[in-house]
Amino acid sequence: MGVKEEDSTISKIMPPIEQEINDEINMKVKKYLRGEGANLEGLRDKKLKGQLAIREELYGKSAKAAAKAEKWLMPSEGGYLEAEGIEKTWRIKQEAIAREVDILSSKNQYDIVLPDLGPYTLDFTSSGRYMALGGRKGHLAIIDMKNMGLIKEFQVRETVRDMAFLHNELFFAAAQKKYLYIYNWQGTELHCLKEHGAVLKLQFLKNHFLLASINKFGQLHYQDVTTGEMVGNYRTRLGRCDVMQVNPFNSVVALGHSNGTVTMWKPTSPIPLVKMLANHGPVSALAFHSNGHLMATAGMDRKIKLWDLRKFEVLQTLPGHAKTLDFSQKGLLATATGSFVQILGDFSGSQNYSRYMGHSMAKGYQVNKVLFRPYEDVLGIGHSMGWSSILIPGSGEPNFDSWVANPFETSKQRREKEVRSLLDKLPPETILLDPTKIGTVKPTRKREKPSKQEREAEMDAAIEAAKSITQKNKTKGRNKPSKKAKKRQEGIERAKKPFLEQQMEEEESSKKKKQKIGEENELPKSLQRFARKKATS
Amino acid sequence: MVEKKRKTRDDNRGLAMKKNKKSKPSHSKTLTNPNKNNNKNYKNKNGERRKRIGPRLPNALRKEVEHMNPRKPLNSDDDEEIDSDDANDVYVYEEAIPEEESRKNRRYDPVDNFEYELPEQFEDENVASDDDEDDGDANGSREDRRGDEVEEEDEGRHARMLQEITGLPAEAFEGKKRKNDVVISEAYPESEYNPSRDVLDGDGHINIQDLLDPLHGKSGFSKLRKSLHRMEKKSVPIHAPLPKADQEKLDRQLTYKHSKKGISKWESIVKGNREAPTLFFDEDIDLGFSSVGAIASEFEPRSEFEKKIASLVNDSGVVEAHKKDGARLLELNKISFEDVKDRQNRLAKMRSLLFRHEMKAKHIKKIKSKTYRRVLNKDRLKAAAAEMEMNPEAAKELAMKQEFKRAEERMTLKHKNSSKWAKRILERGLSVQDEGTRAAISEQLHQHALLTRKMNSMKDSSDDDDGDDSSDEDDGDDISDTSDQDRASKLFEKAKEKTLKVIEEEDEVPKSGVLSLPFMVRGLRKRKEAADEEAKLALEEYESSLKQLEDKEVKGKVKTGTTKSGRRVFGARKKQVEESSNKNKIKVDNYYGSSDSEDNLEGREGIDAEQDTNNKFLKDVNIDTVLFREESEIGHDPVFKSFDEIVKGTAPKTTYDVAIFASDSWKKVKKNSRKDNEQIKSEKKVDANIKNSSKIVEPVLHDQDIEEVGDDCDSDSEGHMVDGILTSGTKSTYELPSQADLIRRAFAGDDVEDDFEKDKEDVLNEENPEPEKPVLLPGWGQWTNIQKKKGLPSWMVEEHESAKKKRDEVLKKRKDANLKHVIISEKLDKKAEKLLTKTLPYPYTSKEVFEQSIRMPIGPEFNPVTAVGALNRPEVVKKAGVIIKPITFKDVNPHERTEEHNKSGQRQKKKSNGKATKSMNTKRIKVK
Repeated sequence: MGVKEEDSTISKIMPPIEQEINDEINMKVKKYLRGEGANLEGLRDKKLKGQLAIREELYGKSAKAAAKAEKWLMPSEGGYLEAEGIEKTWRIKQEAIAREVDILSSKNQYDIVLPDLGPYTLDFTSSGRYMALGGRKGHLAIIDMKNMGLIKEFQVRETVRDMAFLHNELFFAAAQKKYLYIYNWQGTELHCLKEHGAVLKLQFLKNHFLLASINKFGQLHYQDVTTGEMVGNYRTRLGRCDVMQVNPFNSVVALGHSNGTVTMWKPTSPIPLVKMLANHGPVSALAFHSNGHLMATAGMDRKIKLWDLRKFEVLQTLPGHAKTLDFSQKGLLATATGSFVQILGDFSGSQNYSRYMGHSMAKGYQVNKVLFRPYEDVLGIGHSMGWSSILIPGSGEPNFDSWVANPFETSKQRREKEVRSLLDKLPPETILLDPTKIGTVKPTRKREKPSKQEREAEMDAAIEAAKSITQKNKTKGRNKPSKKAKKRQEGIERAKKPFLEQQMEEEESSKKKKQKIGEENELPKSLQRFARKKATS
Repeated sequence: MVEKKRKTRDDNRGLAMKKNKKSKPSHSKTLTNPNKNNNKNYKNKNGERRKRIGPRLPNALRKEVEHMNPRKPLNSDDDEEIDSDDANDVYVYEEAIPEEESRKNRRYDPVDNFEYELPEQFEDENVASDDDEDDGDANGSREDRRGDEVEEEDEGRHARMLQEITGLPAEAFEGKKRKNDVVISEAYPESEYNPSRDVLDGDGHINIQDLLDPLHGKSGFSKLRKSLHRMEKKSVPIHAPLPKADQEKLDRQLTYKHSKKGISKWESIVKGNREAPTLFFDEDIDLGFSSVGAIASEFEPRSEFEKKIASLVNDSGVVEAHKKDGARLLELNKISFEDVKDRQNRLAKMRSLLFRHEMKAKHIKKIKSKTYRRVLNKDRLKAAAAEMEMNPEAAKELAMKQEFKRAEERMTLKHKNSSKWAKRILERGLSVQDEGTRAAISEQLHQHALLTRKMNSMKDSSDDDDGDDSSDEDDGDDISDTSDQDRASKLFEKAKEKTLKVIEEEDEVPKSGVLSLPFMVRGLRKRKEAADEEAKLALEEYESSLKQLEDKEVKGKVKTGTTKSGRRVFGARKKQVEESSNKNKIKVDNYYGSSDSEDNLEGREGIDAEQDTNNKFLKDVNIDTVLFREESEIGHDPVFKSFDEIVKGTAPKTTYDVAIFASDSWKKVKKNSRKDNEQIKSEKKVDANIKNSSKIVEPVLHDQDIEEVGDDCDSDSEGHMVDGILTSGTKSTYELPSQADLIRRAFAGDDVEDDFEKDKEDVLNEENPEPEKPVLLPGWGQWTNIQKKKGLPSWMVEEHESAKKKRDEVLKKRKDANLKHVIISEKLDKKAEKLLTKTLPYPYTSKEVFEQSIRMPIGPEFNPVTAVGALNRPEVVKKAGVIIKPITFKDVNPHERTEEHNKSGQRQKKKSNGKATKSMNTKRIKVK
């Protein structure tokens, strides 16, 4: 058994096989190129072709530089658990891990027992430096995880159902008994958001500065925290709902309902973008992978399902209950029921999740929430007797980007970042199911009119049909071939008529349009004499 | 014969004259041509003549023709001759054409010119042709006539003929002929134009060969000879020149070819520039001056005024004086007597004006007319209102004033029937009073109301807060005192202390900023002194009032039981304080009024402000005490009471809740609660207290807490929670569910699925409604019995079918067509539509290419620093102010160039720069 921690640098350097490195870099380049370039062969416009070729070359260079930077400048790589022989990774206990890891990491294993104020819920800032702790019975706290310093702790003496940090650690929202409140890090109540009602779950959309909440009556609220504007207020019409999660990829909010459906919402649409029957029982938990393609749902039907959100199909169905689910940055999935926490991992790379680790709390501890700490191999567990932290090797992203989330942020950096993120704030309508569609050409509306060829084909078919009608034989004297021919001709004409009429109508309308355009484009008086004169009939 | 000719010539002359008159001088040349031809016809040019004339044309037409090709070099000299000859002619043609030109093509023998001195015949061309021929026949031999060079062939033939006849060489004949010619003329003296006879003779004739011979062996000889040879060879007759349009066309073609060649060499450069993603124009930048100083140093006085100033500034005396020290400057700075006098006069005038104004003001002040005052007041109000609208400063001031007035009014209650007069009237009863008095009283009250009405104060509340902070500590001991006098005296004492403190306090003189400037410091000191003065006055006041109070106490006139309302007391005391402060103020004002210093205004403002704050401070103190007492009166008991009430009110309800939610073990509690309400009540109280102290001890209370919360919690979680606390560590996490629960769970799925399908159907129908089933209207379109038999008419069925098909097709196109368990909304989001482009942007022709081209983000967040610059570089890199020079030609291989572009801008720039200097060409073209 061996445990590798993320901080350990690569001890032995492989002999530099250039080919291997090249392949690796090529793989990364592909990642950074974000898809294939356009096929320039088919382009007829030479100028455009040239421009695009230059662009593509630049893209290629950029991707290559990025790949190289990633290859050579990333300081550390993720750790993992390795089983030897008949060992199983899920049999490894936290104590065993604690023996192996360095002191700094072993500090991250602890249980904090807070027995009085009920099951706890957690939230981390995006950098993983700060944690907000909310006890059901009104215990709110902010903790600096780096030095385990309690920044502020206070009691609101009300039920607290959920907590969420806003854009940085200075502000957080708490869903309390009747209303939603916003506090600052000193515990000062800044706002009481009464419009949200008795909120059950809270989520903050970082890029859009929206606070999303679902209340007792199944109403979904979106509030812009910068302007205070209520961006959206929609009724789900699916009853009480206390399962809510934001897809980090596209900021779409997913709700799990008691009839087993999961609905996905955006702030600008009163009906859900997607409504899917995820489980047969009530949905008890939801989680999204950070790449946005993978969703995990757990229901009361004793099933945990993994969904591919590109196809909306089930990838994998695992048995078991889960009160809470969470994906780590590296894609591990934590599930918890009762007092047992299980970590699932996808090690084959084919979206096939299997048992990776397990951890059982002391009997009687009811896990309320599990949450991976970003940029650390740590899982935070909020339960009925306080909160705990365990080590899950390979869960966190080993290299943080200080422009994205900096665990060692100074106050000045934080201020600057706040300003920058406010400048980069996205409007709520940019939340789409597929955000890569932004900037592309609007899909054309359904074409109602058939094309000319189709119409002609239709007409031909009609004529054929008219021709092929067999005529009855009439009484003697009336059954002349000339009359028959005439009648047939009439039939054909009749079949043709509607098509011709339509055509004429179209022509007329187009003529009118042209006329209109001509009128609109009338030149100013001074320039009219230069206009080419039409040959007047 | 000669005579006859002359006659005809005379006739002709007349005609010609007529013609000349008709035509313009520019045409004269062409006009005279035929005449000359006629002249020549005398001698030997009949044949030529014949040819020249060609078809007979009307005059006008011929004129045109001749105008079109005016080149008739043959006759210019003849022309001259004619003119010189006939001096008496009306028409004089003076244009002199050099001999050489006329001889250039050597159409005629040089000899010809001298055959006759004068052309004697001058006749109309129309007539002449016949005559000439006759004349020619009659006059000279055929050979002579054929001497024309243009008709060399003829001549040659003639020579050959002679040769054949005589058997002599052709040269002999020619020479003879010439000889003959020479014999006839010799009228002019020998000159350049009239070579002597031996020159004209064959022997003395200088030909080109002769001229060339001495050049033999020189450098350019061979070349010259060659060209000569060529010229000799090229004896092909010269064609008539092309029409002008054609000529120009040819010219243009040639020019085009040439210029094309010149321009095409630029092609590669221009192409490179066009294809380049970025053009750099920041080479050899010289933006000129970078600083104001640099610009100033380059300044040269140009205009008259500037020059004058410059001469004064740069005056050597002044400069010298500056350089040494200021002493000499004073000398230079002499003022003339007139100036001084002027100034004095001006000052005197101003003073007198001021005096007059003062007098006027005094006079006005004395006016007692009420109407005048009213009018004046009204005007002032109006002006003030206007000013208030105009500037916010004034508005603020006014607001301050208003505030002050209000405060004053509230303190003094001057208008609240507290005056002696009012009291007396009220004592006697209002109803007894006459109308005027009543009105006066009501007016006074109204004024009070007006003055005390709360205004929107301009000040922040922070001032008040400051006051509060300091006053709060003071209040504590005040409250306990019951006697007003005592409190008043204490207040006075406190005020005294404070003023003393203020006096003692040293002003902190700011060491930096505007306030540290010397004049500011001076001003501050002055103000401080003033404040001290004022404070001393205030102190005296306080002392005096204190003494008064003590006297009052001694006299026993103090009312002790008048604590009905804090306000009145406050008002009375306030009055005194206010009065004193007012006095202070007046004094201060006076004090300042006497001083004439410059910063008078400033100082006064400052003092005013201080005064205000002083007043405010006092006010605050009083108000706060009052408020606090009020609170303490009302506050305590009711708060407790209400608290109790609340507890009482909630108690039965919670017990009810407990009764509902309690199960098994909780029933006991319920019973308990029923048995003993009182107990629970007390528990509740405890609970409330416990809540405050945030300690939960008893399980019962804990549960009640949950109940309170409970209506919104899951029963499930509650259970867990209870478990967690009560039976932590003893109970297993998994409970066997009840049978009913199991069944419900087992069959939950089916129901859900059906529901979902129904849901989906609904959604689909909403978007594309299902076609209505055709309904049969009995008797409509057909007899009912037939309808019954046949069923629906076929067209109806068909229509329904097609509608159904259409719907199916539409549904098939949906994204969730094949997903049974998913509904994907197809609704268009109009707000999100603005994020999409409506049409393909210009150069793109296919959607795929466009979308692939925008797939890469180009911002600095997504790209390494090395690539961001190149990705976002603008089409033209140019610094502001750089003049774009025309491109210079450089011999660059286009392929090389494209490679160059890929390099970073700086390097490329340098390279191209170097190249440009290497292969600099003077030719320039403007950049398009």
